[in-house]
Order: sequence, then structure tokens, then C-alpha cells
Amino acid sequence: MKKSILVLLTLLFCVSGTLVWAQTPARGGALVVCQPAEPPGLDPTANTAAAIDRVVYANIYEGLIKVSSSGEYVPGLATSWEISPDGKTYTFDLRKGVTFHNQEPFNAQVAKWNLERAAGEGTINPHPEYFRVIDRIEVPNDFKLVMTLKDVDALFIAHLAEGDAVMLPQKGHEEAKSTPIGTGPFKFSKWVRGDRVEMVRNEGYWNPELPYLDKVTFKFIGDASAQIAAIKAGDIDVIGYIAAPESAMSLAKDDRFKVYAGTTTAEVIMSTNNKVKPFDNKLVRQAMAYAIDRQAVIDLVMFGFGTPIGSHWSPSTPFYEDLTRQFAYNPEKAKALLAQAGYPDGFKATIKLPAIYSYSRRAGEVIADMFGKVGIELSIEIVEWGQWIERIFKKKEFELTMIGHVEAWDIGIYANPDYYFQYDSQLFRDAYAKALTAPTESEKARWFGECQRIIADDAVNGYLFSAPNLPVLKAAVMGWWENYPTVALDCTQVWLKK
Amino acid sequence: MSRYFLKKLITLIILLFFVSLTVFSILFVLPGDPAQIILGLNASAETLANLRAELGLDQPFWTQYTDWIFGLIAGKSGNSINYGVPVTELIRSSLSVTGPMAVMAIFFAVMLAIPLGIYAATHHNRPGDVTVMFFSQLGLATPEFWLGILFILLFAVQWGIFPAGGFPGWDVSVWGSLKALILPAVALGAIRASILVRLTRSAMLDVLGEDYIRTAYAKGLKRRTVVYVHGLKNALVPVLTILGLQLGQLLAGAIIIENVYYLPGLGRLVFQAIGQRDLPVVREVVLFMAAAVVVVNYLVDFAYAAVDPRFKLQ
Repeated sequence: MKKSILVLLTLLFCVSGTLVWAQTPARGGALVVCQPAEPPGLDPTANTAAAIDRVVYANIYEGLIKVSSSGEYVPGLATSWEISPDGKTYTFDLRKGVTFHNQEPFNAQVAKWNLERAAGEGTINPHPEYFRVIDRIEVPNDFKLVMTLKDVDALFIAHLAEGDAVMLPQKGHEEAKSTPIGTGPFKFSKWVRGDRVEMVRNEGYWNPELPYLDKVTFKFIGDASAQIAAIKAGDIDVIGYIAAPESAMSLAKDDRFKVYAGTTTAEVIMSTNNKVKPFDNKLVRQAMAYAIDRQAVIDLVMFGFGTPIGSHWSPSTPFYEDLTRQFAYNPEKAKALLAQAGYPDGFKATIKLPAIYSYSRRAGEVIADMFGKVGIELSIEIVEWGQWIERIFKKKEFELTMIGHVEAWDIGIYANPDYYFQYDSQLFRDAYAKALTAPTESEKARWFGECQRIIADDAVNGYLFSAPNLPVLKAAVMGWWENYPTVALDCTQVWLKK
Repeated sequence: MSRYFLKKLITLIILLFFVSLTVFSILFVLPGDPAQIILGLNASAETLANLRAELGLDQPFWTQYTDWIFGLIAGKSGNSINYGVPVTELIRSSLSVTGPMAVMAIFFAVMLAIPLGIYAATHHNRPGDVTVMFFSQLGLATPEFWLGILFILLFAVQWGIFPAGGFPGWDVSVWGSLKALILPAVALGAIRASILVRLTRSAMLDVLGEDYIRTAYAKGLKRRTVVYVHGLKNALVPVLTILGLQLGQLLAGAIIIENVYYLPGLGRLVFQAIGQRDLPVVREVVLFMAAAVVVVNYLVDFAYAAVDPRFKLQ
């Protein structure tokens, strides 16, 4: 009797013990993350490809500022920063005792060199304009950085948190494309080209608590059914970025896996050439906006995963305004507007869809059907990605196309009348300039909101949905981001439940 | 013999010259600016120009072509735009996947097809022959990728005895790498075996009707000796021709199967490089593939001479 009570007590103790343990991250273990596209090089300061940031951002490389899983700008290599009242001087305190993976120390001089390199002559940083707003950089001591801007820039902090602004070592940066060296929680160990990138725990990481994992492998599997087979066979632990929505549904019902349906910064839009007939007519564009049933698009294309949008702004980015009701689905109104624009019987047009994105091809077919109901007859042309870049993006030889814009804070593309959809509005440019130089948060909200409203009202493009983040994880994987407020698959705080 | 080699070498060089010119011209006029594809949709015009200059894309056609060719002659392979390493290194590493896989597939195909083909020929129009022909018909009609997916579902997902894809690397695990190649090699081999089995059968049927076979039987040779020594040796020539073509084809890229099993092989390398406009990789891999096909054909020539003394290498 006594013995059995003892056993019972021991059991109880063990159970409660494991319950407590379940909440505390465990150290150790290896994680295999699958993502569809192999990155074209591993240097995020030389290429904007999202596939690069997803592998290296916050894992291998860090910038002064990081984006947290909830979308906040948190200390990275800078521990704190202050902005002067006129909004032009930024003072950063840098983290002490940080070394790159090749043992080069990180300090204010290195940071200054990185920022000046990005803005300098002959730069191959895709966004030198992010850094050219800096007038001068002073280094009062090894761990203080004072930047004076030429003008107020509301997006300066946001840009410093992007992959374009991560810190590279002065000596080891030449080979960054093939052998990345950063300050992050993981150290690059191997790239088996065509197959995987491996990284191991950085024992000298500035935060001794992190990372939890010993090893992370990014495996590149493009085919959607091969991804599912691989996770079911146990070859991979996580499908890191947007699994095929139809398989996500079936995996969500399986106890061995969990599926997160979170948000991303990507907006899927039906880009419209604002310079060709009949799309140069605002009424036609508004008619098309009325003819799109966004929820049906999401249901049919993404099996219900995704958030409808009414402008070029993702709900996960600050200052979002919900404008989805402005052109709520109304085919009758669409027909009326078309008649008013001089097309009572509709018209014919071509939509060119990039072959590499399945969501784009599917959405194109759905939209063609919806437009057919209001008299717009769309013929579909599938184009290879290189062709898309050349003919549609550079030469603007298109009427309609379909594409996801993944960068956050990219509404500035509407201020460039030469951008492929060729929107030309002084009203917008003024509002955007005001937003960029807004001194306070409420002013920023006002003018970024105004920007969203102007392009929504002009129905510049067909705003469809913000792409979902659909990672599929083995049940034991903890700490994975539910939402993707920036383009990253940050494994710093990921751990495995034993 | 040495004249044979000299002649073949000159042919190879001329051929490679034409291939290089063709592939270079096609890539030159191919739409899709590599710099724009690399830098993305929001890149500044200045950065685009800088990158184009760095990649040498702002040079005229002949300058770009001669730079490349003279570089190759001097033994300097171009650098991959995406991977930042010499293309020869990429070819070497992907060949360590595709090479063994192609050899395994051909080995499997031969082991399956030759005995079955002989069996079908010697049992002409009897139930055994009909059964073999039925399955080879089925094999011919089966798409490679479908068989590949079927194998994954059965052997990886259901039974878990093989990985669903991927390749650990020979330096990491020899057994694991071998295991990773078995399913794709069998999938590739099964389809090729279907062709070979029909070819072996018809070649054997032709040969078995020849006068010298009757003579061989008449002088009292055993049936086995007649079929395998007198028959098979003479029937092998057309089989070897197709085998050579198949091996060349497999080396030049089993693109679809490599995608199904996400193997980092030659086919996937060039497939991705085309999509991302990694032009140095496309150029040199295509050149390599052309050379590989030609060399395999020379090997087939040797094999002819080995099985049939009537063939002379000249």
C-alpha cells in the first residue's frame, strides 16, 4: 500500500514536472526547414530576393535593428537609439563584445563602413537610396554612432531593419555571396548547391541564452507535393513558407503536424497598365475593382487562407487602413461604370501571368471568370519569369498581370510614374512626400493613410489579398513565428519539445 | 588507332565550337535581364547599371563571347552569378549525383531488360513472351515523374524505408547517398528497360532466324551456348546503340526526376540557372552536356568493336 502511494506520488511529480518543462525552451537538437526557392547567393545586401532573407536574416546576419515576430523594431546590434526633436539626428548605442563569426570585432567603425559602402559609388546594394539620406556619420566612441540625415525620413528605422542593412565584416565580406559571415546566432557551415544550406550554433553569440538549436538546415524543395511527402516521411521538420494551401488543409487535421495561418507583408495585386486603353480610364479601373469578389478569390485560390485588402498595404504593417469596403463586390455597379466609361458591352483584354507562381496563375483564372460576368473578356497568357521581367516589368508590354509584392513599406513605388504599372499622380506624390517627412507618429499615420486612400480610390491596381503565411510544422517544433511581419524565417528562438 | 583518336578529337572540338556559339547566341538574345532578376523589382537604376557592368553584360556580343571562350581555353571557368563559385565546381558536385544515378539506372535497366528480352525471344508468341511484352508496353506508357511519385508514396511515406528525396552527399554518408539514389534510379531505369527489352527481343528474334544459328544447332552445340554466345553477341549491336543514347540522355539531365526527388543534379542545376538567368552556368553546363553525349558515343564505338570484330575503329 505504502509502496503504491509512493509510486503514485512519483508519477504525479513526474507528470507535473514535464508540464512545467514543456513551457521552458529546451536546448539542443537539429531542425530541417524547407523553403521552395534556393537563394541566389547568400548576401542580402547585394540582392533583394526574398529567398536570401528567409535563410540568412537574423539567423546568420544581423543589422542594427531587428524586426520582432510581432512586427516591432527591436534592438539588434544597437541596444538603443534616440531621435532628435527635429527628426534628423539618430544616436545609436551599440552592443559591446560582439564579434563576427570570423572573430573580427563589431564596433561603430564597422557599422559606419557598412552604411557608407551601401551608399557609395559603384554600390551593388539594390537600395542605395535607403542610405543616401544619411548626410554624415560620426563615431564619438567605439560603441556610439551618430547619423545626421539630409531630411526627415519616416522609414529610416524600417529600412535599417531590412536585410539590405545587415552588418558584414570588413575583411570577410568579399565572399558573402558564397560564404556568409555575420554576427547572428548561427554560423554558416555548408552550402550543398541545389540541395541545402547548413548552419550551426554560434557559440560566441552575444546573447548566451540563444539560440536553442544546435543546427539548422534549410532544404530547397520547389515541388509542392514533394514538400508534403518529405514532411510526412520525416525528412524535414518545417515547411517554412507557404505550403500549398490545399495540402495545408489536410495536414492541419493530422495530429503530428500543426499549421499556422498568419499574415505576411506581401500583397497580391492584379497590376494594371495605367497608360494603355482602356485602363487609362479611372472608371474602367473602378469597374474592375467592383467586379472582383475578393473573398471568393481567397477561397478559390488560397483555400480560404489570406486577408482581403483594398489598397497596397498589408494588414500586418503599421498604419494599415481597411479599405476593402470601398469597392465591395458589386457586378451591377461594375457594369454601370463600364457603360458610363463608354464600354456598355465590355471589352477584350489579355492578362499575362508569371508561370513560376501558382497563386498568380490560379488567381488569373478566377479573375477572368469574374470579369466575364461583367462583359470583360480576358484571355490568359502564361509567361516565363525572365520574360515577365523583360516584357512586362521593363518594357511595360502588358494590359493586366498578377503578382505578389513582398516588401513591406513599398507604397513608394506608386510615386514613380515610370514603374511598370505607370501610375502618375501628383496628389499621391505630395502625400507620400508628406508621409516620409512626417515628424510624429500621428502625422505618419495620417499621411500613410492618405496614400493608401488615394491609390484605392484611383483603383490603380486590382487589390486582392495579403498572402498568408502558411508554415507547416511538426508538433514538437516550438517558437516558430505565426506571422511574418518581415521577410525572414528567424530560427533564433525556435526549440524542439522532447 | 591513334588516327581514330585524332579524328574524333578534331570532330569534338569543331562540335563544341558550334555548340558554344549557338548557346551563347541564344542566351544573348533571350529576354530577361539577369541584373534585374537578381536585384528584384524595386532596385534603383544606378545599382542595375553597376551590376550589369560588373557582370560584363554591357559589352558587345563578340567581346563577351571571346572573353568567355578564351577564358575557357586558358582553363578559367566562369563564375556563377548566383552561387559565386566557378561553374566547373558546380558541374563537379552535381555530376557526383547525376553520374552515379545515371549509371545505376542503366545498370538496373540492363539487368532487367537483357534477360527478359532473351526470354521473350526464345519463348516467342508463348504466354511468357506476351506477359513480358505487356509489361514493357505498360512501362513505355508510364511517365517518369508519375512512377517517381508513386515510389515516394509507397517506399518513403508508407513504409519509410527510403528517403522521400534529397541527397546527403558522399562525404557525409555513402550508404545514405546510395539509398537516396536508388528510387530515382529505379524509376529512370524501369522506363528505359521497357525500350531495351523490346529491342533485345526483336534483335534476338532476327539473329535466331539466321543460318549460322541453325548451323550451330546442327553441329550439336547446347541451346544455352547457341543463344548466349552465338545469338546474344550478334544481337547486342543495336542494343548498345540505344544504351549509349540513353546514357547520354541521362547524363544530360533527368530534369524531371531530379525535381521530383529534389536531387542537386546536373539537370536541376541547368533548369534553375535558366529560370534565374545565371548565364555562365547555362553556357558551360550545356557545353559539358554536349561533350558528355559525344564521349559516351565514342565509348559505344569501342563497345561495338569489342562485341563484333567486323567493326574497325578508323
